Amino acid sequence: MVKVYSFEGCPWCDKVKKYLQARGVEYEVRDVEESEEAAKECLKISGDLAVPVTTIDGVNYVVGFDKRKIEELLATA
Amino acid sequence: MSVYDFTAKTKRGEEKSLADYKGKVLLIVNTASKCGFTPQFEELQKLYDAYKDKGFEILGFPCNQFAGQEPGTNDEVQSFCKVNYGVTFTIFAKGDVRGETAQPLFKYLTAQKKFEGFDMNHPVAKPLLDALQKNFPEYLEGDGIKWNFTKFLIGRDGEVVARFEPTTTPASIAKDIEALL
Repeated sequence: MVKVYSFEGCPWCDKVKKYLQARGVEYEVRDVEESEEAAKECLKISGDLAVPVTTIDGVNYVVGFDKRKIEELLATA
Repeated sequence: MSVYDFTAKTKRGEEKSLADYKGKVLLIVNTASKCGFTPQFEELQKLYDAYKDKGFEILGFPCNQFAGQEPGTNDEVQSFCKVNYGVTFTIFAKGDVRGETAQPLFKYLTAQKKFEGFDMNHPVAKPLLDALQKNFPEYLEGDGIKWNFTKFLIGRDGEVVARFEPTTTPASIAKDIEALL
């Protein structure tokens, strides 16, 4: 399952979500502002709280709205 | 009437009376996680660290009303937002700060201190004004909160002493805080 670490009102997070929706990719939203657990996970994955962070396995991830990198990530799934 | 007549919702959902801050100098700020445009958290934290032992508190009110429309993001390389993490001053629950749905505290604050324009010398003033004129011209009317990081300075007696727009950096109001401490 694709996970998107994000928070409400983050324009780049919204772009990633819309992009995944348009691609028909299901994803789970992990809100790093609302959930301390999600924030900790995000820190563990990327070492930072810059979002969106898109990941499938929690090891490989993409920070920000980078279509090319997100495509590469999806291709590994 | 003073700010002590108001309550604010804490992150845990409890109502906290601002009267609990009686006798302190307060800086009330509407905050937002940053998307490469308003890096004021660090400076606010510095103010807090410098004056907290002298009776100074910062009360942050996160608000999403201005999110998603960060001016200047079109031509920025950066395509991510950073969550405010590691600030030790008080952050209340998310809520509205302008319009009919605004929290009563912010209706009171903006009625006490009017909008007197942006400091056009601040590098962000022009893109901010352009973005507002283009996307939210109605925001520029009246005295409501214009954008993230509008700051209200409250004296030890609960009086609203000053209002600083997003175009005034936290560092530059240190002298105003000192004058009240």
